[in-house]
Amino acid sequence: MQSVVIAGYARSPFHLAGKGALARVRPDDLAAQVIRGLIGKTGVDPADVEDLIVGCAFPEGEQGLNVARLIGLLADLPLSVGGMTVNRFCGSSMSAVQIAMGQIAVGAGDVFICAGVESMSRVPMMGFNPLPNPELAKKSAVYMGMGETAENVAEKYQIGRADQEALAVESQKRAAAARAAGKLADEIVPIETRGGTVSEDGTIRPDTTADALAGLKPAFDAKGSVTAGTSSPLTDGASAVLVATEDYARKHNLPILARIKSVSISGCAPETMGLGPIEASRKAMERAGITAADLDVVELNEAFASQALACIKDIGLDPAKTNIDGGAIAIGHPLGATGARIVGKAASLLKREGGRYALATQCIGGGQGIATILEAVE
Amino acid sequence: MSEQAIRKVCVIGAGTMGAGIAAQVANAGVPVLLLDIVPKDGSNRNAIAEGAVAKMLKTEPAPFMSKAAARLVETGNIEDHLEKVAECDWVIEAVIERLDIKQGLYAKLEAVKRPGTAVSSNTSTIPLANLVEGRSDAFRRDFLITHFFNPPRYMRLLEIVTGPATDAGVAAAVERFADVAMGKTVVHAKDTPGFIANRIGTYWIQLGLNAAFDMGLSVELADAVAGPPMGVPKTGIFGLVDLVGIDLMPHLQESLTATLPDDDQYHAIAQSHPLIDKMIAEGFTGRKGKGGFYRLARDTDGRRKEAIDLAAGEYRPAIKPLGPTGPAARGDLRALVETKGVIGDYAWAVLGDTLAYAAGLVPSAAADVVAIDDAMKLGYNWKAGPFEMIDRLGAKYLAGRLEAEGKPVPQMLRIAGERTFYRVENGQRRFLGLDGEYHDVVRPEGVLRLADIKLASKPLLKNASAALWDVGDGVVALEFTGKMNALDGDVMKLILQAIPLIQSQYKALVIYNDADSFSAGANLGLALFALNIAAWGEIEKLVAGGQMAYKGLKYAPFPVVGAPAGLAVGGGCEILLHCDAIQAHAELYTGLVECGVGLIPGWGGNGEMIERARNAKMMPKGPMPSVAKVFETVSTATVSKSAAEAKELLFLRPEDGITMNRDRLLHDAKQKALSMVEGYTPPEAPTFRLPGESGHVALNMAAEGFRKRGLATDYDMVVSDALARVLSGGEADLVDTVSEQDLLGLERETFMRLVREPRSIARVEHMLGTGKPLRN
Repeated sequence: MQSVVIAGYARSPFHLAGKGALARVRPDDLAAQVIRGLIGKTGVDPADVEDLIVGCAFPEGEQGLNVARLIGLLADLPLSVGGMTVNRFCGSSMSAVQIAMGQIAVGAGDVFICAGVESMSRVPMMGFNPLPNPELAKKSAVYMGMGETAENVAEKYQIGRADQEALAVESQKRAAAARAAGKLADEIVPIETRGGTVSEDGTIRPDTTADALAGLKPAFDAKGSVTAGTSSPLTDGASAVLVATEDYARKHNLPILARIKSVSISGCAPETMGLGPIEASRKAMERAGITAADLDVVELNEAFASQALACIKDIGLDPAKTNIDGGAIAIGHPLGATGARIVGKAASLLKREGGRYALATQCIGGGQGIATILEAVE
Repeated sequence: MSEQAIRKVCVIGAGTMGAGIAAQVANAGVPVLLLDIVPKDGSNRNAIAEGAVAKMLKTEPAPFMSKAAARLVETGNIEDHLEKVAECDWVIEAVIERLDIKQGLYAKLEAVKRPGTAVSSNTSTIPLANLVEGRSDAFRRDFLITHFFNPPRYMRLLEIVTGPATDAGVAAAVERFADVAMGKTVVHAKDTPGFIANRIGTYWIQLGLNAAFDMGLSVELADAVAGPPMGVPKTGIFGLVDLVGIDLMPHLQESLTATLPDDDQYHAIAQSHPLIDKMIAEGFTGRKGKGGFYRLARDTDGRRKEAIDLAAGEYRPAIKPLGPTGPAARGDLRALVETKGVIGDYAWAVLGDTLAYAAGLVPSAAADVVAIDDAMKLGYNWKAGPFEMIDRLGAKYLAGRLEAEGKPVPQMLRIAGERTFYRVENGQRRFLGLDGEYHDVVRPEGVLRLADIKLASKPLLKNASAALWDVGDGVVALEFTGKMNALDGDVMKLILQAIPLIQSQYKALVIYNDADSFSAGANLGLALFALNIAAWGEIEKLVAGGQMAYKGLKYAPFPVVGAPAGLAVGGGCEILLHCDAIQAHAELYTGLVECGVGLIPGWGGNGEMIERARNAKMMPKGPMPSVAKVFETVSTATVSKSAAEAKELLFLRPEDGITMNRDRLLHDAKQKALSMVEGYTPPEAPTFRLPGESGHVALNMAAEGFRKRGLATDYDMVVSDALARVLSGGEADLVDTVSEQDLLGLERETFMRLVREPRSIARVEHMLGTGKPLRN
């Protein structure tokens, strides 16, 4: 099989939905700016790009009408570049990467832009017209709210509130430190808005303390342990990675970050969807022929502190190597954009921190996990 | 100078009054510049004005009627931004009550303002003549006093004082803006200390405090006497002082004793009380402080009301005093002051001298008795003004008792003799003037009161709960007349009788009444009676009758305009939803609150709300968004806090009108109705595409989230499930068309199912008993 590499990563700043600096930016415009930024920083010839694959969890409204094609046109990609929107909720843009890898494997292209976008300001979670199947609603927890699943995981793994808050404080601390050290600037494409240029994340709360978090009310269950402070915030953002054959990347001097070693997807119980990364990571590591001990970098999406802690424990991850620059509790979780962000981030960190293997993995509403193993390229 | 339109206002001084006045200007939709001084420390030079706006956004009751209004306030400081006064047509000064500071500011203003831009002071104590010392003639022409009451959004009184040099056009422009745009009722006062309302109010409070100390009354009994039996709010005197701040009293006293003429009666009663001085010194300044004459004490059993013992100076549990009874409790002032014992003695001590004092202020402080009465009704929320009270007590009786006590009898009382200060002649309300003659009470142009019409005519139709009045020009008004303007079968009957009458003889209908509350909704007491005897047939008849009457209004061949003010909830909201248009008072508190009593809207409110929601601007397409929006509002029994918010909640349509001045509401509604007469065609019945069972499940999921968070009770889930079923169209499939009649049937059937539930009945009972919802 051809070696497939991540040859570039870019994202928009992430901002809180509703009140953040990107609330008034259309998601298609937001993603188009990120894609232009990615092309600019990698130097890839857009005419060589086979397809633009965009992950989006709620592809309707301004994210509807096969938004990938629209984003391609907004980004001035050549007409010859395709456009496909992928929906696997939070796993959407990681799926975009995996689909590109598969297309390359069957000889259907050399270079793909795999992006993700979500404006949680402009398209609500659940969409504008949630119409659950009444029969399925009776027999399955598949429509359960995400917060409730986080409570279920906390309960099942006996993860107390203080532990969740400790993870949240650490996530905020790491993200704030990374930003202060200029470590986030490279990946961020400044976004032009009507209110001026936005070039930094608006989600990080550097002053977060355990005491402050301890004072918050439970957000989803009056008797529960999960609060707004231990959940990822509703976020606006877009991200993109360039996926190419290693041959193409080398020939065109693209900045190779890492090789995709293995991928996986795995279903799980909807009511504990936060545990999705456990089986998905196991499968991906098995396919890569490694164990958790071989991992040097891990990007584990922090949908909620409870599920992140459960996954760290169950997979056997090293917290010191997990979410080195902070996770989604601090950075934010624009659903469709997160997968490409953590793949791009894991690849960048592997390059920055050194080491051989990286894991990017996340849970998915409805009960799934998705994982990608990356390998350093000599 | 001719009257100029006011398009932008500047308020200088961002304290409670200045900021509140600025908010009310913004509530009128007019841009306002709010300036204060530069703070001594800190880098933000606009911090004081900005802080005032931020604070107002968190204040309850809210000074702003909407968030959009808050955006009309531009903040700044008087060092950097005073030249912006040149953009403004009216400058309101509301800075600290110090003559030197005010005069210094005016000197600066004179240099930057345009000629003709009105400048007014919100002073409550400083004479106009002193304020304009040293200013040019041109400045004096543009200067007047506009004295607002706190809080400026909610208190309707504005006292205006003009000086000898004030230009009539400038004053007229300010008055018109204050009246029409800001909704204030203007009372003209003379340039005398305290003007009208606070002069009488301070005197009255001082009398009440003195007499309670002297006679050894409990504060509870004092307030029970000098409260509702006199037509005064139930805070009485001590409760009122707690509300405005006990520490304000010495300031008022000092100011009035320094400025009132030596022969003023106030000097004889002005005194301090050691207990009050001690309370102020220790921070017991009322509701804003550690407590006042009353306080809420917290202990392990929860909150407990306490009151201070005036003799011992200590708090003790509040008591329920044995106050006035019989006619004395119900507004018979003569019976009240003649009650034997301490109640009658206290009532007389407070009322007799207050009324005499007020009567003595014509013509020195006010031109006529109407100004005095309006000032006290609007500035202190008295149900009747001093002269109206004297009419009930008897002018001759009052004069006689004063004389017997060796007290001076004011000139106005002598002029009245055995007559009353007001009387109605040929349907016209008239007042007694200084000349001993009666004069018409003249309303400003555009002010129409149903009370005036009722004096001059007989109803076209009338029963126990409603009446129909000819309000002129072919327009009739439907008035609710029951307790709290509750709605029942009689109201529906009258509506059905009115429709053919209006169709044959009139042009349009306005639904209006003069009361503080437009309607509290269906008569729950009657409903409960029917529930208790399981008269299900009667209840279903009432539901069906209401649906029929409201749809009758909607499809009547003439325009129907709803003109609500104050509370309009439940069925009172639903009748508005069926009107062709609404002209609302800015203070409109409307909502569908049925879920709070375990029911759902049953008089067509569900369909009307879905229709409004799906026509709302920016509403996403598809079957769910409009239904979900209505579910969110109705399941939580959300009530608007203003007419502007009622638009946001979709109870009002974007094109519905808002009247700021309560007195202008009927006139504005009538004009709106008349404007719709030509070429009027009734609306076509809507049809709906509803999400059916899938939508029902989605709404229940949202409600379940609320329950999990502890925001909804188990029975809330039962009620919201019923509401969700109706709003999503019951068994209807997404591709079915649901008619308005189908939806009414579903609403009625679901209502009838809920109304039999014991927990709904318990909610109704609890609401009737306590006025509060039962969270079962």
